[in-house]
Amino acid sequence: MYAINTENLTKDYALGFWRKRPYRALDRLTLQVEPGEVFGFLGPNGAGKTTTLKLLLQLVFPTDGRAEILGRPVGDVAVRRRIGFLPENPYFYDHLTAIELLEYFGRLLGLSSREREARVPYLLDQVGIGAERRLPLRRFSKGMLQRVGLAQALINEPEVVFLDEPMSGLDPIGRRMVRELILGLRDRGATVFFSSHILADAEAVCSRVAILAGGRLAAAGRLTDLLAFGVKGWEIVVDDLGVDALSRIQGLAAKTTRIAENRYALEWPSTVQPERILTDLAAAGATVVSLNPVRDTLEDFFVRQVAEHGNQRISPA
Amino acid sequence: MVILAVALSVFRESVRDRVFYNLLLFAVLLVGASVLVGKMTAGQDVKIIKDLGLSATSLFGLFIAVFVGISLVWKEVERRSVYSLIAKPVRRQELVLGKYIGLALTLLVNVSIMAVVLYLLLAYMHWTAPPELRSAWEAPATDPALLKVFLLLYVQLLLVTAIALFFSTFSSPMLAAALTFGFYVIGHFNADLKHFDAVVTSTPLVWLLRALYYLLPNLAPFDITAQVVHGQPVPTGYLLMTIAYAGVYIAFLLSAASYIFARRDLK
Amino acid sequence: MTDTRRVRPFVFGLVLATLVVAFVGVQVWRDRVYGEPSPGDSVLYVRSGEALRRLSLSFSPLLADVYWVRAVQYYGGTRLSASTTRRYDLLYPLLDITTSVDPRFNIAYRFGSIFLAENYPGGAGRPDLAIALLEKGFRANPARWQYLQDIGFVYYWWMGDYRQAGEWFTKAADVPGAPWWLRSLAAVTLAQGGDRQSSRRLWQALRDTADNDWLRNNANLRLAQLDALDGIDQLTMVVRDFAARTGTIPASWDALVRAALLKGIPLDPTGVPYVLDAGTGEVTLAVESHLNPLPVGSRADRSAR
Repeated sequence: MYAINTENLTKDYALGFWRKRPYRALDRLTLQVEPGEVFGFLGPNGAGKTTTLKLLLQLVFPTDGRAEILGRPVGDVAVRRRIGFLPENPYFYDHLTAIELLEYFGRLLGLSSREREARVPYLLDQVGIGAERRLPLRRFSKGMLQRVGLAQALINEPEVVFLDEPMSGLDPIGRRMVRELILGLRDRGATVFFSSHILADAEAVCSRVAILAGGRLAAAGRLTDLLAFGVKGWEIVVDDLGVDALSRIQGLAAKTTRIAENRYALEWPSTVQPERILTDLAAAGATVVSLNPVRDTLEDFFVRQVAEHGNQRISPA
Repeated sequence: MVILAVALSVFRESVRDRVFYNLLLFAVLLVGASVLVGKMTAGQDVKIIKDLGLSATSLFGLFIAVFVGISLVWKEVERRSVYSLIAKPVRRQELVLGKYIGLALTLLVNVSIMAVVLYLLLAYMHWTAPPELRSAWEAPATDPALLKVFLLLYVQLLLVTAIALFFSTFSSPMLAAALTFGFYVIGHFNADLKHFDAVVTSTPLVWLLRALYYLLPNLAPFDITAQVVHGQPVPTGYLLMTIAYAGVYIAFLLSAASYIFARRDLK
Repeated sequence: MTDTRRVRPFVFGLVLATLVVAFVGVQVWRDRVYGEPSPGDSVLYVRSGEALRRLSLSFSPLLADVYWVRAVQYYGGTRLSASTTRRYDLLYPLLDITTSVDPRFNIAYRFGSIFLAENYPGGAGRPDLAIALLEKGFRANPARWQYLQDIGFVYYWWMGDYRQAGEWFTKAADVPGAPWWLRSLAAVTLAQGGDRQSSRRLWQALRDTADNDWLRNNANLRLAQLDALDGIDQLTMVVRDFAARTGTIPASWDALVRAALLKGIPLDPTGVPYVLDAGTGEVTLAVESHLNPLPVGSRADRSAR
């Protein structure tokens, strides 16, 4: 049984007042998420990521196709006891405090008062909300609301967690907290469905990713499969490079970048042995500052995919 | 129970949004009026205070019913707080119903407190009035029959709330407010629709007007202020039937509202 | 695929339809048991037209229309009701409110005064209230000489006070824009008030200046009634003539035709034959004639002899 399963999930919106011109926000999305994975759902703005999430949570209804969570159809209300959702830029109820909000949601989730008593303070500690928990939510900053959002998504110890831009609005400490939380969830055996356009975050935690562009699935698979983890080339930063040494090297290096007076960053293709380069440079009288391999990043892959598939919509048939 | 949790949340929101401050205004209005009236007409003062108290209860209740009623669903969707709410095991119909019950509860508290304030004031007037004056009153000052008026008034407010909630599930708050107020006004002149055959000669038009009389919410029969203030009896059967009418109409509106809300894309 | 969505629209429609039938049914049942909410009931509550006018803000004309409809329905309902004790109590208050809310409501004054002045049980039988209403109308609309003329009529026709009638016709004539013949009408009334000729002149004047069909038809009705009275007088003379000649009362119209005193069966202005009572020789209108009841036994009865 898959944690999340979609089959040809499609969503058209009708635009325009008189003559309704359909706008295809999502086109025949088919993908599966295994239980226990951290799945990154990536794409540029407007690619259809939020639409997919809304379809999975039944905020909107599909034009075609179907989706399942934990083997049950998406409309099943009982299954929602086992999931959690953090929306993008969450907004709750101005007049409630953080504690009251979690209590309210806990009650809706069917948690007993003892469970609520235990989990509410624990979660608020985990997400880093201290004494502010007694303040009404209207006083909360964006970052604090984000933390509360995380707390309410996790209060029922869900088996599947949906996160839409979870790092948004957080400082570096907050981002690390979220990263640790996600890894903790994975260790616990929960499935995390993580939608973002910040690739570095995804790279750090996800085991599998899917890339959406123009409403269509551009690529999906294990991170290690998608990226060439092989070395593409070498980057060497050198100091004290004299002028004649520079002119000689420039012809050989694939790319030369001047950092400061006499300090340069040089790039070599992987075909060249790094030992050879080092020897040459030492002979020229330069001092080596650093030597780094250049690998394919998720960003490169992403940009390539989007360029290939384009962010253009196809019109519905 | 989920519906109850949503209802209590609405009630708490009303309290924190200071909806109940209208009670202060009500009390000030009544007390002020009683002071003025005492100096003016003799023998009519109790009637005037009753009229004023009941009208104010109706009017304040109307504003709460319409303005809070419209925002119940709309605010959730507009502010996106509905996103995290929908991810919880709450059916959309339960959400609509819970919101309605929450507002019904708010109105119940509001109307009850107003009734208490009015009765206290009337009791004071009774206590300070000389016996000859008391015998001139058409109905006793602290007439228990006033409770019947409050009851029907409350039921009428429940109906108006249902109308507001219904319109708010699919239209903007401005339009919903306009429509609800419109139906409120039409609802009071409903009886005239039926009698238009006295001046209209076209038969299809008469039939149309009669159909409208039956289909549109008929709000005038809920207003029994005149009878009770003049000491005339109101049959229990009439009360029960009118409440039954409201009950069925509310069920109709809430079903339609739930249905519409359940099928809507929440963008 | 998704349960909440698949709430079978057809079943749902059925549920809604059932509920509609239910609340309509409750309403019908209640109306049957407790009577329809009569709009007149609410008048018990708000007696002040002035207050209503202020409350109605810019919707006064509309509200006046509502009250006018209620007045008409009240008048018609009471008049047509089978009850032996009809009461028109609320008629004046309804008309008063209508004209307070919209002081320019012309037909409310003119028709309203007719409803009020007409003899009970056809109307309220309150010519005094009719006059009060018309006076109110004139205060609000000082260019409306027709209201003063109508007051004159009420004095003349319903109260038999020819002096007052003449005075009011004079006052009407004094209003700028009033027609020239009002003065001669006043003069005739004062001189010969009560006879059929001047009455006829009055109704002709009203007919010719009527704002609308309803008033014109009313005037025509009165004129026809006067013609009928003339007809009865002439026929009575013929019957007496026959009795004088033959010593007996004619058994039927045929006898008179055979005696060459009449050309054919006499018909009243609506085409219904007059009735001859063979026992007393009295000539009357047929019961089914629309001209009933004739204004008999009063002012219009005296013909110019």
